[in-house]
Amino acid sequence: MDTPVERPLRILLAKLGMDTHTVGVTIIAHALREAGMEVIFTGLKQTPEMVAAAAVQEDVDVVGISTLSAGHMRNLPKLARLLREAGAGDKLLLAGGVIPQEDKALLTEAGVHKIFTMGADTREIVAYLRGWWTERQAADAA
Amino acid sequence: MTVGIASVEIATGVIAGRIAAGARAIRWLDDRDPRGAAVLGAIYGATGRAHIVGITGPPGAGKSTLSDMLVAELRRRNRRIGVIAIDPSSPFTGGAILGDRVRMARHTLDPHVFIRSIGTRGAAGGLSRSTHDAALVFDAMGYDIVLIETVGVGQDEIDVVNLAHTTIIVGVPGLGDEVQAVKAGLMEAGEIFVLNKADRDGYEAAHRQFGLMLHLRANARPDDSWAPPLLRAVASRDEGADVIADALEAHLAHLKAGDGFARRSGRRACAQMVNLVHARAAAALLRLPEATRLLDAVSACEIDPYSAAERLLAGSRNDSEGAA
Ligand code: B12
Ligand SMILES: Nc1nc2c(ncn2[C@@H]2O[C@H](COP(=O)(O)OP(=O)(O)O)[C@@H](O)[C@H]2O)c(=O)[nH]1
Ligand SMILES: [Mg+2]
Repeated sequence: MDTPVERPLRILLAKLGMDTHTVGVTIIAHALREAGMEVIFTGLKQTPEMVAAAAVQEDVDVVGISTLSAGHMRNLPKLARLLREAGAGDKLLLAGGVIPQEDKALLTEAGVHKIFTMGADTREIVAYLRGWWTERQAADAA
Repeated sequence: MTVGIASVEIATGVIAGRIAAGARAIRWLDDRDPRGAAVLGAIYGATGRAHIVGITGPPGAGKSTLSDMLVAELRRRNRRIGVIAIDPSSPFTGGAILGDRVRMARHTLDPHVFIRSIGTRGAAGGLSRSTHDAALVFDAMGYDIVLIETVGVGQDEIDVVNLAHTTIIVGVPGLGDEVQAVKAGLMEAGEIFVLNKADRDGYEAAHRQFGLMLHLRANARPDDSWAPPLLRAVASRDEGADVIADALEAHLAHLKAGDGFARRSGRRACAQMVNLVHARAAAALLRLPEATRLLDAVSACEIDPYSAAERLLAGSRNDSEGAA
């Protein structure tokens, strides 16, 4: 081809409901930008419906939710379902923040692919995303 | 082969106005995936109807907030709107934080509003590489208006005027000398001027300055049949959207009364072809083995870049004559 394909990973970052803890999501946004990814930030006070609609419009590869105010058991399974219903079930769904150990299995079952909680190293998050993205692109090319 | 099938499916979806299809087409075009060009070829016949509107101005002037209120007003007028919101990509990592959606959140669930955030990915001039293509996709999807918010621009980063039918220049009071900076490039371009943040101190003074600048511009262009209005807005309070929407409609009517609309669309298509030829021809030339040799020589200061470029071009001319 004349011009090489350039495919930076696109990720949507959002916070749901009345959760106003912004430090974690800001750190993640900057870490991913430094790692060469395109971060679409939708802001606070989003609903699962809004996140699903924005994820489709932006054609992101990954949807990342930062949740610290205990809404995750209600919001995240709903978001996973809405994404599937919108034909966007192939997007990677990540969550981070304050998520008790005992909730993780249920969330994973509901369609959250990976969870990073307090103290997660941003380098580890970047490495995980890069690994996933490499595999995804290899699968798409095959 | 799969490229072909996938592109046809997406192109069909774009023309049917399906959001997921449009979103994927724009992604391919932004990524320079060959499937993107195939989609564009297939949808091109369905383009040419949308009113393409640019919004530009210095960083922080309120372009996103203004876009948000303008979308609300245009929705009241029953228009369907595609928004392209451009933010800068890091020149070092290529990464970006695209945050314009934050100010437009109230439209997220409106099925007649499609907002797309795009990183500049190395393009200068206030647009991204793919802005033109994304506008065509929105046009083919049937959006009445395509609103393009550029990155915050300085004086001469006004590529959007080559792309838009109508360009809105956003200024703000309190910049003092920066109005001087704005005047050079921005005041020469644009069909609608909006002085935002009219709730701030210094509005009257800024209004006088902008008015004077527009007066000088009018004197310098006696043949201009469009007199750019200078409008007041407080975007954070939803004030001024109605007059801006009126001005947009007036300018569109003005363009359509003559051959302005078609002329601008044609000018845009030509500019795009020139861009493509530039990019492709340069890439093709630089792939030649001779290019690598010459670059090595330039890098070692054995030959000056002018002579090296000339030699590369001369070589390719000989090649094409030889082949003919
Ligand atoms: C700072 C803080 C505040 C600040 C927030 C300031 C701000 N602008 O962000 C203020 C004082 C405003 C505040 C208010 C409240 N807070 Co508070 N707050 C905290 C505190 C102490 C630290 C949070 C923080 O910034 N951590 C630092 C960042 C870097 O960590 P992080 O967000 O966890 O992010 C990391 C990972 O989780 C992960 N990550 C996070 N998001 C994402 C997203 C993705 C996609 C990925 C991949 C990874 C990822 O990566 C990050 C880097 O490692 C926590 C305690 C705690 N242990 O977390 C309580 C805490 C979160 N707050 C709590 C509560 C209850 C409140 C309040 C409701 C009332 C109160 N008791 O103070 C209010 C209401 C806020 C609201 N409406 O949401 C509780 C929540 C309880 C729960 N979930 O069940 C906590 C856990 C304290 C506690 N133990 O009770 N809070
Ligand atoms: N005082 C005042 N602030 C405004 C107005 N319009 C926008 N803002 C604020 O200006 C800041 C930048 O706005 P934004 O739309 O992001 O600017 P952009 O960078 O040009 O897109 C935000 O904090 C807005 O809330 C206005 O009319 N008056
Ligand atoms: Mg903006």
